[in-house]
Amino acid sequence: MSDLTHHPVQHDLAPGEEEIHSVGERIVGYVVGLGLALLLTATSFFIAGTNLVWQPSIPIAIIVLAIAQMGVHLVFFLHITTGPDNTNNVLALAFGLLIVFLVVGGSVWIMSHLNENMPAMDQIMRMQ
Amino acid sequence: MLGKLDWSAIPLEQPIPLIAGGVVLVAILGVLLWVVVKGYLPYLWAEWITSVDHKRIGVMYVLLASVMFLRGGSDAIMMRIQQAIAYQSQGYLPPEHYNQIFSAHGTIMIFFVAMPFVIGLMNLVVPLQLGVRDVAFPTLNSVGFWLTATGALLVNLSLVIGEFSRTGWLAFPPLSELTYSPGVGVDYYAWSLQISGVGTLVAGINLVTTVLKIRTKGMSYLRMPMFCWTTLASNLLIVAAFPILTATLAMLLLDRYLGFHFFTNEAGGNLMMFMNLIWAWGHPEVYILVLPAFGIFSEVVSTFSGKPLFGYRSMVLATMAICVISFMVWLHHFFTMGAGPDVNAIFGIASMIIAVPTGVKIYNWLFTMYGGRIRFATPMLWAVGFMVTFIIGGLTGVLVAVPPADFMLHNSMFLVAHFHNVIIGGVLFGAFAGFTYWFPKAFGFRLDETWGKAAFWFTFIGFWVTFIPLYAAGMLGMTRRMQHYDVAAWRPWMFWAAIGMALLSIAVICQITQVVVSIRNRDALRDRTGDPWDGRSLEWATSSPPPVFNFAFYPDVRGEDAYWALKQHAKEQQLEHAEPEYQDIEMPRNSPTGFVCAFFATVTGFALIWHIWWMVILGCLGAFATFVVFAWRDHDEYVIPAADVAAIDRANLEERRNLVSMAGAV
Repeated sequence: MSDLTHHPVQHDLAPGEEEIHSVGERIVGYVVGLGLALLLTATSFFIAGTNLVWQPSIPIAIIVLAIAQMGVHLVFFLHITTGPDNTNNVLALAFGLLIVFLVVGGSVWIMSHLNENMPAMDQIMRMQ
Repeated sequence: MLGKLDWSAIPLEQPIPLIAGGVVLVAILGVLLWVVVKGYLPYLWAEWITSVDHKRIGVMYVLLASVMFLRGGSDAIMMRIQQAIAYQSQGYLPPEHYNQIFSAHGTIMIFFVAMPFVIGLMNLVVPLQLGVRDVAFPTLNSVGFWLTATGALLVNLSLVIGEFSRTGWLAFPPLSELTYSPGVGVDYYAWSLQISGVGTLVAGINLVTTVLKIRTKGMSYLRMPMFCWTTLASNLLIVAAFPILTATLAMLLLDRYLGFHFFTNEAGGNLMMFMNLIWAWGHPEVYILVLPAFGIFSEVVSTFSGKPLFGYRSMVLATMAICVISFMVWLHHFFTMGAGPDVNAIFGIASMIIAVPTGVKIYNWLFTMYGGRIRFATPMLWAVGFMVTFIIGGLTGVLVAVPPADFMLHNSMFLVAHFHNVIIGGVLFGAFAGFTYWFPKAFGFRLDETWGKAAFWFTFIGFWVTFIPLYAAGMLGMTRRMQHYDVAAWRPWMFWAAIGMALLSIAVICQITQVVVSIRNRDALRDRTGDPWDGRSLEWATSSPPPVFNFAFYPDVRGEDAYWALKQHAKEQQLEHAEPEYQDIEMPRNSPTGFVCAFFATVTGFALIWHIWWMVILGCLGAFATFVVFAWRDHDEYVIPAADVAAIDRANLEERRNLVSMAGAV
C-alpha cells in the first residue's frame, strides 16, 4: 500500500520502524540497553546465590529484576515510548498485559481454590 | 515406512461413512474433471487459487464455510434421527460412530463453518468500508485461508481414512489421552485445529493491522462503520485467545506423542487444567464469532431503516467492553468442577455483567428501527429474526450463569438448546444476513428475494421447532450426547426436534435454490449502480463487483455514514465532476505461496497423524522452502496504468449516470 503515502496520513510508527535518528545516536541507545540488560542479568544470578540479603526476599528481588529486564527490552530494543507516535504500540502492550494478567492470574486463582476443595489423593492421605 | 497407516484404516465394516466418503469423492473428481475438460484450470489457478485480492479470498472463505456447513448439517440430521428412534433400542448408529458424529458436528460447525464464514465476510467488506485498496498483508491473508482449508480437508479425510475423535468438540482429557483414545481420531482433531488455528491467527493479525493502520483520508476511528469496529474487537480477541488454544492442544499432543503428563490421571498430571485453559480460549471464541454478526446487523438495520445507527458511540463502547469482559467469564463453563463458592460467584456475576453491553446493542438496534422507513428485504428479516431469537437465547444464558441453576442444567439438553439458540440465532443468522446483503457487492447481482424469504422462514420456524423441545427435554433431565435412552417422557420431544430438523433441511435447500435461481436470472437481478440497497458506508460507493483496486481514488470521509453523506450532499455534482486526473495504481502480485504452503501443511499434518516421520520432515522442509522462496522474491507489486484505471472508472461512472438520469426521467 505504498501509494497511501500520497496523502499525508498521520500514522503511528510500527514496531521495527525507526524514528529518524543519526546512526551514532541509535548505536548509543542499543549499547546502553545491552549494558543495562547484562547488568540486570548478572544481578539476578548474584542475588540467587548470595547470603548478603534476607533469604525470603530473594524470590521477590528476582521478580522485580525480571520485570525491569522486560522494561529495558521494551524501551531500548523494541522502542516503545510514551510519545504520541506510539499510541498503538502502547495500547497493544497494555491489552496484551491485561489478557496475560487475566488468564494467568485467573488460572492460578481457580486452580488453587480447586486444589483446596478437592485435594489430590496423596494430600488426603497425608491429612489422615 | 507408512507408520500406523495400513489397509485396516479404511472402515470397510461401516457403510455410512464409506458411502458418504465415496459420494463426496465422486463429486470432487467430477468437478475436477469438468474444470479440466472445460479448460477452466488456468483461470482458476491464476484468478482464484493464487489470488491475494481480499475480495476473492473472502469469497473463497465463504465458499469453504458453505461446503462444510452441508457436512456439519448432515451430522446434525443423523443425530436428530438417531435420538428420535433410539428409545429403548440402539437406533441405527453404533455408539462409537454416534460419538464421532457429535464430535465432528461441533468441531466442524465452529471451526470450519462459523469461523471461515465471518472471516470471509470481514475480508470481503472491511477494506471496502475503510475506503482502501487492500488489506495490510495480502499474501499472508492467502496463506491464512489455505491453512484453514487444510484443517477442513484433514477433518474430512478422517471420514474414509481412519476415524475421527469421539471425545466431543473440545477433546477433554483424560478421555482424549492415549490410554482411553488410542486411535488416530484425537490426532486428526488436534492437528487439523493446530493447522487451521495458525491460519485463523494470521487472518486476525492481518485484519487488526488493516483496521488500525490502513484507512482512507478522514476515516478516523469514530467515523468507521460499526462492522469495522466489531471486526477490530473480534480480531483482537483472535490474536489474544488463539495462542491459548494452540498451547493447550500442543500440551495434549505432547502427552499423546512424547509421553508427557500435563493432563493425565497419573504421574502428577492435572486434567482440570485442560478445562481451565481450553475455556480461557473457548469463551472469547464465542465473542469472536458473534461480534462480527453484531456488526453485520448494525449495518443491515441502519440501511434498511434508512437511518443512521442509533447511539453509535455507545455501540462502540459496548463492543469494546465485550472485548475485554469476554476474558473474565470462562469459568462459567465449568462451575461444577469444584472451584468453590467464591470463584463461582465472581465468575457468575461477570457472566451476568457481560449481558449488559449486549442489551445496550439490542436497544440501539430497536431505536434505530423506531421511526424509520423499514424495508423488509431478506437481510432485514434475518436481523429482526435474530433480535427475537437472540434475546431468548441470551436470557437462558443469564439463567445458566447462576451457579446453583447451572448445577442442575450443566451438560443437559437445556445447555445444548441454549448455545444453539445464541450461535444459530446470532452467528448463523448474521452470516446469512451478511451473505444476502453483500452478495450483490461481491458478484454484481442480487439474490432472489422469494427464495431468500422462504429460506428465512423455514430456518426461523425450523429453529424453534427443533430447539424448544431440547429445552424441554433438558428440563426433564435429559443429558447431552446420549446414543440411546429409556425415558418415555423424552421421546415426544425428540420427535418434535426431528421434525424441526426436517424444516431446517428444507431451509438449506431453499438457500441452495436461491443461489441457483439467482445465477440463472442474473441479468434481471443485475446491480448496475453498485448501491442496490441505498447503502450508507463506502463499500457501496464503488461498482459491483468492485474493480481489483476497489477505488480509483481514496474517498475523502467527512463524517459517519460516509457514503450516505456523499449521496445527500453532492449526488449530482459528484457524477458531473470534471474528469479527475487518474494515476497509476500499484497492486500486490498474485502468489501461489499460500496454496503451496497449505499443500505441505496437509502433508505434514497427515504424516503426523499416522506417525510417518520421513514424510513429516519432507513436509516441514517443503513449507520452509516455500517461505524462503517467497522471502527472496524480487517483484511483489504490479502497476495498473492510469489509462486502464480511467477506462474502468469511466465505465462505472457512466452506468451510474445513466441510472440517475433514467430515474430523473421517471
